[in-house]
Amino acid sequence: MEMINEEQLLEELRDPRTGRRSFEKLVAEYSERLYWQIRKMVLSHDDANDILQDTFVKAWMNIDNFRGESKLTTWLYRIAINESITFLNKKRNQNNISVDDEDSFLLNTLESDTYFDGDEAQKLLQKAILTLPDKQRLVFQMKYFEEMKYEEMSDILGTSVGALKASYHHATKKIEKFLSEPR
Amino acid sequence: METKFNKLKEADKRNPFTVPENYFAQFNKEIMDRLPEKEYVPPQTVSLWDRVKPWVYMAAMFAGLYITINFLTKDTETPLSSSQDTFSAISEETPANNYWSTVHVTEEEFYRYLEEQLVDDGYYDYMYNQLYLN
Repeated sequence: MEMINEEQLLEELRDPRTGRRSFEKLVAEYSERLYWQIRKMVLSHDDANDILQDTFVKAWMNIDNFRGESKLTTWLYRIAINESITFLNKKRNQNNISVDDEDSFLLNTLESDTYFDGDEAQKLLQKAILTLPDKQRLVFQMKYFEEMKYEEMSDILGTSVGALKASYHHATKKIEKFLSEPR
Repeated sequence: METKFNKLKEADKRNPFTVPENYFAQFNKEIMDRLPEKEYVPPQTVSLWDRVKPWVYMAAMFAGLYITINFLTKDTETPLSSSQDTFSAISEETPANNYWSTVHVTEEEFYRYLEEQLVDDGYYDYMYNQLYLN
């Protein structure tokens, strides 16, 4: 959805007379997309809500430093992803959770989430996704669920297209292996 | 219920997560109240003098350098013979020249003086090593 003219919006955002009003437009345009990106990383609705708020506050405070070298959407995604990964790492440190226990920590969040409406098969897929490392999980979700282009993912994650394709390939193999295991 | 599917193609791509009712509309309203006020910094106007200041300083520096070099090269261009004459005339009249001419030291006295100096230096070196290097 590219209904907003980013260049014009950016100009308005930097102008102190129109900045606040334009930011409202920006929130309305991007909040939903960013929310789902964050939610799929942290799983809990409450945590996703907090991170989304932090993302927009950071964007608001730093919009004057944004040089327009990348798209505004890309910049917002980057903030959201960084905030999500920082949140996950902080949570793991607080609970003294090692890398091996990562899936169990998020698995509990998934099990106790009241805003999960999927069936058993969808839950199983989510569990399979949780076996992936954070970055690979991110790549898989962007490609599989959001059907994002590799080029756009490359801009957001700062990783080459080739590396992203390899990462997605490994992720699908791991997920398929998990799904085919007898249980 | 046992759920098994081997291929990702068989998986349901629909988003299984939900949000509270009217969540996004509510969020968009609330976030605007949470945004901190930003301090407006008016763009600074740079005066003409501030803009040309570095160039003026640089020009002054080069001018100073030119004058100094010019002065020094002019000084050495003066005839060598006349400057030598002046020097000899001055050196003959200086009190320092007169002073050395009145000091009479024999060769033996001069070597003894040197030896005393070396003994003293050796002592100071020894004390220094004892105090600071040990």
